[in-house]
Amino acid sequence: MDRMNEELPPGVGPAWKALEARAAERAARVDVERVAARVLERLRREGAEAPRFRWMAPATLRAAAAVVVLVAGAAIVRLTLGSRESVRLPVGIPAMDSLSSPQLEAVWEATGEVSSVVDSVAPPSTGVSLDDLSETQLETLLASLSGAEG
Amino acid sequence: MGVPAQSVAADGDLIARYLAGEEPAAAELVRRHATALARFIAAHGAPEEELEDLTQETLFKAFRALGTFRGGASFRTWLLAIGGNVLKDRRRRWRRNQVVALTPDIRDPSGDPGSQAEAGWAAERLQEGVVKLARLQREVFLMRAQQGLGYDEIAAGLGISEGAARVHYHHAVKRLKAWIA
Repeated sequence: MDRMNEELPPGVGPAWKALEARAAERAARVDVERVAARVLERLRREGAEAPRFRWMAPATLRAAAAVVVLVAGAAIVRLTLGSRESVRLPVGIPAMDSLSSPQLEAVWEATGEVSSVVDSVAPPSTGVSLDDLSETQLETLLASLSGAEG
Repeated sequence: MGVPAQSVAADGDLIARYLAGEEPAAAELVRRHATALARFIAAHGAPEEELEDLTQETLFKAFRALGTFRGGASFRTWLLAIGGNVLKDRRRRWRRNQVVALTPDIRDPSGDPGSQAEAGWAAERLQEGVVKLARLQREVFLMRAQQGLGYDEIAAGLGISEGAARVHYHHAVKRLKAWIA
């Protein structure tokens, strides 16, 4: 390692020597046996832990997927129309109507970061489902989405 | 320079034994590398009270990811690279808390009081400079100046080219020289 120190220019070399001496001194105070014991203890406790998958009922997964599709569509519409017109989608997901609070929470966890997009694009669910939309409203919605895609 | 081939082979053997379920092999690897790792972390400007925790955290993450270790670099170098990542995360917290990492007792262990004070000041400036280096510059500099690793080994550990390692080291030294001038 002395060879490495010789590479350092005058002025840096002595300062580095002092800094390194201090680092070595501090490192020597680290209790290696304690570190080893704690590392092994953590490995026993957490090491074999499988990736955290949370079981979700098929209905919940379908609802989550529907949310993602809806948000993506709304985001596309919003991007396409820009600031000229705000798009509001007074639509609830049919399957979500029957979900319990924990299930809904799981849905939002699954959709994760997109929930903020939901907030910015569409207001919270108004309790209206797709089934409640009139034919005209559905056509308008579909036209918006297909327009965004085209 | 790099770690002697025999040591690499021995580490490899311990790694294989640990992966086969032999826990003491991990403890032996910790004993072998923890102090060098702690020195590396300390030279990054880690606060004294967090040094042991950072060492532990790095080793834990390394053992957890041991299945991905391919032996392109030595275990020591791989460990130092993980330490760099752990430090990167922790550094954000230090910035938020405005941690002053160094205590004023840095001194040239061989000098008289006058030169000790001067070396202490220069070392503090140097430590500030090390902290201010770009991450790769800092890691390459410490791996070479402190750990004595060759550019090929540093490059393998950090996943960069040997030429890039040389350039980072050169820039690091240049910046540090300017910083303490």
